[in-house]
Amino acid sequence: MTTSNATANENVQPSGVALTINGIAVNAVAGMTLVEAAWHGGVPRVTGVGCLEGVCGSCRVMLRRGKEVTVGLACQTFVEDGIDVIFLPPASAPQHHYEISDFKDGWDIHARFHKIFPEASRCRHCHGCVNACPKDIAVEDGVVQAAAGRFREAGETFFECIMCELCDVACPELIAPAHVGLFSRRITAHFHLRPPNLINRLEELRQARAGTAQKENGEE
Amino acid sequence: MSNSIPLAEALARYRPDADLGSLPELADVDTLLNTYHPDHLRDSLVKLAVGANAGDSCQRELAGLLQAEAFIDEADLAGTPVTDVDVLVIGGGGAGCAAALAAAENGARVLLATKLRLGDSNTVMAEGGIQAAIEPDDSIQRHIQDTLRGGHHAANPALVSAMAGDGPEVLRWLISQGMQFEQTPSGDLHTRRAGGMSTARLVHCRDYTGLEMMRVLREAVIQHRSIEVWEQSPTVELLSNELGQKCVGAVLTSLLDGQLRIVRTRSVILATGGLGRLHLNGFPTSNHLGATGDGLVLAYRIGARLCELDSFQYHPTGMLHPSHLAGKLVTEGVRAAGALLVNGLGNRFIDELQPRDVVCAAILRECSEGRGIRIDAKHVGVWLDTPRLECAQPGLLERQFPNLMSRTRVAGVDPRLEPLLVHPTLHYQNGGAVIDVNGATTVPGLYAVGEVAGGIHGRNRIMGNALLEIISFGRRAGAAATANRDRGPKKVTLEHVNRLRRALTLAGLPMTQRAPQVLPDYATTGGAWNR
Repeated sequence: MTTSNATANENVQPSGVALTINGIAVNAVAGMTLVEAAWHGGVPRVTGVGCLEGVCGSCRVMLRRGKEVTVGLACQTFVEDGIDVIFLPPASAPQHHYEISDFKDGWDIHARFHKIFPEASRCRHCHGCVNACPKDIAVEDGVVQAAAGRFREAGETFFECIMCELCDVACPELIAPAHVGLFSRRITAHFHLRPPNLINRLEELRQARAGTAQKENGEE
Repeated sequence: MSNSIPLAEALARYRPDADLGSLPELADVDTLLNTYHPDHLRDSLVKLAVGANAGDSCQRELAGLLQAEAFIDEADLAGTPVTDVDVLVIGGGGAGCAAALAAAENGARVLLATKLRLGDSNTVMAEGGIQAAIEPDDSIQRHIQDTLRGGHHAANPALVSAMAGDGPEVLRWLISQGMQFEQTPSGDLHTRRAGGMSTARLVHCRDYTGLEMMRVLREAVIQHRSIEVWEQSPTVELLSNELGQKCVGAVLTSLLDGQLRIVRTRSVILATGGLGRLHLNGFPTSNHLGATGDGLVLAYRIGARLCELDSFQYHPTGMLHPSHLAGKLVTEGVRAAGALLVNGLGNRFIDELQPRDVVCAAILRECSEGRGIRIDAKHVGVWLDTPRLECAQPGLLERQFPNLMSRTRVAGVDPRLEPLLVHPTLHYQNGGAVIDVNGATTVPGLYAVGEVAGGIHGRNRIMGNALLEIISFGRRAGAAATANRDRGPKKVTLEHVNRLRRALTLAGLPMTQRAPQVLPDYATTGGAWNR
């Protein structure tokens, strides 16, 4: 590790920014993102990197500036002097289970939501999720909306969610807000998205198929 | 490029309400493509010497990987833990998830292995939308014709017709999984017309279509009882039967502990995506970190036939600035919404809704003929005139392109006030493994879906067909792979690797390079591309 750092350090330009990534000292260039700095500094085992444009939610990092500790996305955060960066491990398996094909009836969704996400009504408004969200989503409001059965609104609140699941980590009640948001969006589409233009085309195709099948059967 | 126009000068000259002059006649598309499209760069093609495509033209860097040495030997298999499943899906993007869900719906026990995190893929970054012929003035036939024409009639019509015919049903399935789409006030799905389409056919979820699709499919896969997911588990080799002629499993490793694992199965579905991160011909790329062409290497080594290995899509509007977003896309949806392309002299130079290869070649022509806008010696581009769009339709960018706005906001750029500097970026592999309408490759037991498969887009893909393809063929392959009811493998071998090694030796090729690459060099050994 020391050797790879030594080689990287030879490239350092005068305008270098000194930081640590996963405990390793890195000299980066101003304007680099934390992912670029990790590569530049030869930091090993940085595999939690995906899209590099802030939509996949993989490059979750913990950031320490003096005594202040925050979280963020490494591909969207620029290097700063003296900052300590730790790449976080991928999120653990979800604790809330449902299959959308199990839902046949839209009338009991609210009740079933509380069975699947019993913690959602226990939000203590600590702002942990809001502070953790790299997309500035009003996570708390979204959870309250979902708990009140307002799934369309809740889904809209979570529109920009990239499933980094940093809010899940931040929540002391283990509500899993990201999954609450996604549940709200999925239920809304599953039960309420019935676009006439699509339905008409599907029906035309069904009739065409039925016509062809009939013709084939008749000819036989 | 030294005769291009410096950024400051171009910016001083720029006005969102300036007269752009008349659009020059596009006289000869073929000459434009042959002269400026990167596929036609001198020295970029070689002939393959070994394998199912011996004698065919192939892009040089890709040929190096296809004719490379494997990572493992039979000795490595001894004592390696074995897992048995019905269907193994390799790749955790949209195609892999669709295939896994279809296989599970048909009763298979599925293992989905992905080298990064589930959902880390180009799917999640797709912005513009998905094509499906649902408008009253549109038809499946027109969708087929547009796709074939856009691909310069090199596509397999049977595949195109299967995909286009699936379009409406694919949307219905996605909605039932919980995916939302943009609607008109009357509740119809909102459609746009993009490059190469004869009518409005692009269905979308603002400019987050791929993210919306991916987070829904990812959740559906994670929640499914019959699907197991292994993350950070790249495949290093496929496994064949004693004759080396049938695919019966794969050897996986782990980025976390480096341990090899054997998976034995009746069917393998490759859904590994494309190869933008190989930076072919030195181009930047819009692709995610894992797009290193692993699936092509694995498929070729076990004997699968590939196609169109010399044809790649360079998306016309990759960002040139800010540098950490170099190569990242400005969605074609922005042009579909009316944004124009303008050169350093302040003139339009191409109909913005021509197919992507034509627009790309036109931009490269402007840059090489001195009408580009120069940031520094290496970086030249043209304007994408977003302020003019904003003036014409105030609020449109904020409303319909939140992803673009959010990305540029981080970098302190406001596309409503200043035009975006763009340059073509390596975006998509037009070809890939030869498949039939069920996604089956020429090797029994091996399926390929999504970008790793070929024959659907000919020599140029039109917008919105990638998101359609991954679901259409993903589901077809998932169902077909499950229907493969033989008793499963008795013996798993690396016979196909031995066969390739013999061929490489006979052809006198060096076996110094190893493949698949798994991650780009700069992510494993340090350094950063474009710096």
